[in-house]
Amino acid sequence: MSNKSALTIEEIGVDFSGFKAVDGVSMVVEEGELRVLLGANGAGKTTLMDLVSGKTKSTQGRVFVEDTEITNREEHEIARAGIGRKFQIPSVFRDLTVRRNLEVASCLTPGVFANLGFGFPAEDRDRVDEALELAGLREQAGRRAGELSHGQTQWLELAMLIVQNRKIILLDEPTAGMTQAETFKTSQIINGLKGRHTLVVVEHDMAFVREIAEKITVLHLGKVLAEGRIHDIERNEEVRRAYLGSKGIA
Amino acid sequence: MTLPRSVTIAAYASFVAALMLLPLVVSDPFWLNRFAKYCVYGILGVSIALSWGYAGVLNLGQGLFFGLGAYMIAMSLKLASATSLQQGSTTPLPDFMLWNSEPGAVTDLCCINKGSFLWIPFQWQWFGVAMGLALPTLVAGILGAVIFRKRIAGVFVSIITLALVLLVRLVLIDAQPITNGFNGLTDLGWFTVAGFEFDPYVTPTYYLVAVSLSVVLIGARLLVETRAGLILQAIRDDENRARYLGFDVPAYQIFFFCVSALIAGFAGMLYVLAAEFASPTFMDLTFSITMVVWAAVGGRSSILGACIGAMLINTIEASMSESATFMEAWKVVIGLMFILVVLYLPRGIAGVVKDGIGRLLGRRAVAAAPVVAAGE
Repeated sequence: MSNKSALTIEEIGVDFSGFKAVDGVSMVVEEGELRVLLGANGAGKTTLMDLVSGKTKSTQGRVFVEDTEITNREEHEIARAGIGRKFQIPSVFRDLTVRRNLEVASCLTPGVFANLGFGFPAEDRDRVDEALELAGLREQAGRRAGELSHGQTQWLELAMLIVQNRKIILLDEPTAGMTQAETFKTSQIINGLKGRHTLVVVEHDMAFVREIAEKITVLHLGKVLAEGRIHDIERNEEVRRAYLGSKGIA
Repeated sequence: MTLPRSVTIAAYASFVAALMLLPLVVSDPFWLNRFAKYCVYGILGVSIALSWGYAGVLNLGQGLFFGLGAYMIAMSLKLASATSLQQGSTTPLPDFMLWNSEPGAVTDLCCINKGSFLWIPFQWQWFGVAMGLALPTLVAGILGAVIFRKRIAGVFVSIITLALVLLVRLVLIDAQPITNGFNGLTDLGWFTVAGFEFDPYVTPTYYLVAVSLSVVLIGARLLVETRAGLILQAIRDDENRARYLGFDVPAYQIFFFCVSALIAGFAGMLYVLAAEFASPTFMDLTFSITMVVWAAVGGRSSILGACIGAMLINTIEASMSESATFMEAWKVVIGLMFILVVLYLPRGIAGVVKDGIGRLLGRRAVAAAPVVAAGE
């Protein structure tokens, strides 16, 4: 426990008129850590991300980015406090070019009036170029984002988060709908972010999880079922019973 | 798809040049006055392109802002008219207030009827000008704050704005003692700057409108080129993505909604200078929707396109409605045009022209350097 915590979740929960999608989840993610959230459908993984990023307002518990409490703040305030989020369904600015997408993300002065100037400072442009390189989208920089393939769209959204350079990055199923080759490339991009950012990844694909995971939190019916290294999780009897079935992890 | 900057600059420059040179070709004061009005419609086109094309907010009540701007300046010009000045009262008095006054009422702006005092500051023309700009912006600010903070979007914004313009129109007609109701404000004086009177049928008035259009056009274009303009387009494409990138989405939407309203209010004022009246018809549903058609035909995602669309349609309309056969048919023509554009040319005339120029440049580039062009 030498590292300090980047994201602290304390007893967070939400009650959708009687149904508790997330019920008292606590979790500490250390700085630079990559945490994988595992769980069956309906375990509350995405809801937990919604609670952290402000999409859903929690009915109990608290969330901190380092020492700043962000519980139930507005989405854009939470983003500014240091949390970037990638959605399950890739969302990019479809009518803007790839470069423009990244330029929007590179703009860290959020106010309208502060942005009534032209162009972006050189360091922002450097960050955009760097992210284009990292996501392998340099060739596509001038294309409209709407014309990209599914995989490229996912990478573009990742690149936007890289440009943003938030402390914490939440990734909701970053490999959903990807081919094997695309999945591999995604794992490379994510591995490249390790250490520089604190990452929380929701994922189903066990091959991918093995590729990237350090520590895993298993959710089940809105509660934390187990937490540990991939090795321990794969052997954990409770996890096998509740989620993976008797056959174990495929 | 994106054209080189030089092409864009050339397009804007030639348009502005054409505006400035028009009086050399058109000497008939009647037509010059008509073109001044079309320039006003061009400004409205710009305001629609800004809110619909760039902010993704389809405002079906833009006539509200246009009408507010028009009435504010018209109140001032009404008080400046010869008839208002010759009512034998200490303050100028609009004729309709006198006709409608109760027997024995004090013939003064302060108290000829219950609401007439509102007219007092409009004796100063510049108060009318200031209000013509401030009131639409303020109304848009309040309306925008409610709509966008509540995260109302898409068709619901259109329904709200549509309902609002009709509501205000009703109130305007109902407030007959101070607005002259259905009849609107007619018999206006001329807008006067430092002793110069802007007679609607002289060249300087045309230039006043044409220069205003040029300034609005270039100003709006520059505005969408700023970082804020880019972020606005990002918000249009995916509001949520922008929100999770840390942008206060409603702040951007409200700001640009206000700018659009300000431009529409400004257009309303200029229209009064050229047409010499303000009437509740400005807030008719058909007018607000017609503006949207102009922008759609011209190209809503192009500031210049929407502007040219507005001017073009009106020029065609004017020449067509001269003949009796076409007068009624015109509405069918414009309706058909709208449907066809929406179905087959979603980017309007501007889109067609852009593609054409792009292909032309592309072909030239292929001839010059095949490798470079392949990447485009």
